[in-house]
Amino acid sequence: MDITRRSLLGLVPALLVSLVIAACGDPGSVGTARPASPAAASVSPSPAAFPATVIDFQGKSVTIPTRPERIVSVGPSNTEFLFALGAAERIVGVDDFSDEPAAAKSKDKVGGVKVNVEKVVSLRADLVVSLKISDGSLDRIAAQGIPVLVVDPRGIADATRTAVLLGTAIGADGAALARSMQEGLDAVKARAAAVKKKRVFHEVDASDPSKLYTAGPGSFIHDLIELAGGINVAAGTASPFPQLSVEEVISSDPEVIVLGDASYGVTVEQVLGRPGWSSITAVKNRRIVPVDANLMHRPGPRLAKAAETYLEIIAGTP
Amino acid sequence: MRAAGRAIAIRSPSAPIGIRAATLVTLAVALPLCVAYATLVGAVAIEPHRVLAALFGGGQGTDAIIVRELRLPRVIAAALVGGSLAVAGTLLQGLLRNPLADPFVTGTSAGGSLGLVLLLAFGGAAATPFLPVAAFAGALLATTLVWRLAGLGGRTTVLTVLLAGVVLSSFAGGVVTFLMVASDRLALRLRSILDVLIGGVSIRSAGELTIAAAIVALGVLAAIALGPRLDAYAFGEETAATLGVDTERTTVAVLAAVALLAGTAVALAGLVGFVGLVVPHALRPLVGAPHRLLALACFLGGASCLVLADAGARVVLAPTELPVGVITGLVGGPFFLALLVRTRRMAV
Repeated sequence: MDITRRSLLGLVPALLVSLVIAACGDPGSVGTARPASPAAASVSPSPAAFPATVIDFQGKSVTIPTRPERIVSVGPSNTEFLFALGAAERIVGVDDFSDEPAAAKSKDKVGGVKVNVEKVVSLRADLVVSLKISDGSLDRIAAQGIPVLVVDPRGIADATRTAVLLGTAIGADGAALARSMQEGLDAVKARAAAVKKKRVFHEVDASDPSKLYTAGPGSFIHDLIELAGGINVAAGTASPFPQLSVEEVISSDPEVIVLGDASYGVTVEQVLGRPGWSSITAVKNRRIVPVDANLMHRPGPRLAKAAETYLEIIAGTP
Repeated sequence: MRAAGRAIAIRSPSAPIGIRAATLVTLAVALPLCVAYATLVGAVAIEPHRVLAALFGGGQGTDAIIVRELRLPRVIAAALVGGSLAVAGTLLQGLLRNPLADPFVTGTSAGGSLGLVLLLAFGGAAATPFLPVAAFAGALLATTLVWRLAGLGGRTTVLTVLLAGVVLSSFAGGVVTFLMVASDRLALRLRSILDVLIGGVSIRSAGELTIAAAIVALGVLAAIALGPRLDAYAFGEETAATLGVDTERTTVAVLAAVALLAGTAVALAGLVGFVGLVVPHALRPLVGAPHRLLALACFLGGASCLVLADAGARVVLAPTELPVGVITGLVGGPFFLALLVRTRRMAV
């Protein structure tokens, strides 16, 4: 899952200075497979000019000499985009967490939190599309003459931009995919205008029960909440995936609590039993909604579907 | 090693009675003050009079719930953790006659964290109140193993204990890291276990705090009861034996108490360094080497230290919370060095 990976990687410096037992693990998600949205599936590749030059998310200009036929995708959202762009046959490797669509699971694996450079090279990849990974492995891949595109969408706007960028990079009609995503998002926004705004707490991870990871401004989850007529109680925080003290969660009094960590075993009953949570409106009204992190925690081509889910949650909140 | 032991005992044989009394009174007064301060500060600003109202029965609503159900339990947990670590450090330093001993170097904390992680991985949601028990079991197992390893081939020496402790810590660290990285493939649902280990003081349920408090009480009482026997260790295990101390049983009892205390600390706050090392050091010159009094003083002092450190963790970068280990490291490290320099100067 993209966001877990990100929050864990962010902890690495903290690790090095601590006495602790290092390493960051990223348990992927255990959710069920869902079909790709019809809009995304209908996008057809269009002829494009190669060599193609694109600017990736790190501002780096990358030239792809010929139409990529052996693509390695690192990051579940990137994998979903590539499938949605009709590149299913051209993907030769994905990361351990790419489980959507189902066909992604049968691709060769190139690693989890760390990318196995040897594996990527042995797959004779001619394009690597990856989330930002700072351990130097992407540089080593690029040093082998393989074009590496860092594609690391954070907000909703980044996601549509990704569609266009990847379309150009692989010679497919990314603009059409971006358009259909945008149409879906706009439709949700229009419907949300008629819904009364609700205060939302979106729980990303509560492993440390006194400091809960949530989604803040800059993240697509925050964008989804606002788009679907919610008021994110973490709107005042400064980072995309901040930790909110449990005191702040309680005093912000959300009207609905969305459990993005449901697939990690967090249940509604557990939340009801947390010390001090009984004063929260959402808890009083039993308005605690587990969601499929597979869908909701990925800035991928199914964002409109995620936005729709959010709208239903907010509209269904008393 | 003996020399070091003698150094502890001789340099601070028994502080003047006035200083001793003053220190204990100061510590006893400081703890409630620290607790009061820590209850007043937090992520959400609540006016002091409303905090007091919430504490003394009155006051409904969100503020009162935050103070009563979140803040106060957390402050109490911090006090338990600090007190436990300091007493565990005292016991280990006495047993090993080595001023560098604390639950980290003997592998006790690492064992505790392993127990914790295993229960989180395989125990499911209903198991959370028993995290202190799992941490204790892990700590006890690790400590026993270290002593067994160190005792192979005859006499247990400080050096072999420390070596075995380091090795066991690395091993436990390896297992924890493996479980974290393999979590997905093994469907363990371990997520940010790192936050659990370095995140700081947190309690998951009222039940957990009750169990932890009971375990700590047991550990501290054991420490105080064992005090006189540990005093006899100051000049070495043989000397203690000639003084009529059953050294084998004493060692086992001390290690069990250390595991109780350090394991509970790990369960409540993850890995918090320096408290177990620094607090006994700072207090020994003031209250003297005899362990009964020292353990009591260390509990009070350690509790105050960690309550303050935890409050600091909440305040320094508010609203972002720091892991409490950052505070204890930043403050404890230089403090320990200063103490070391002063002691060396005095020794010359």
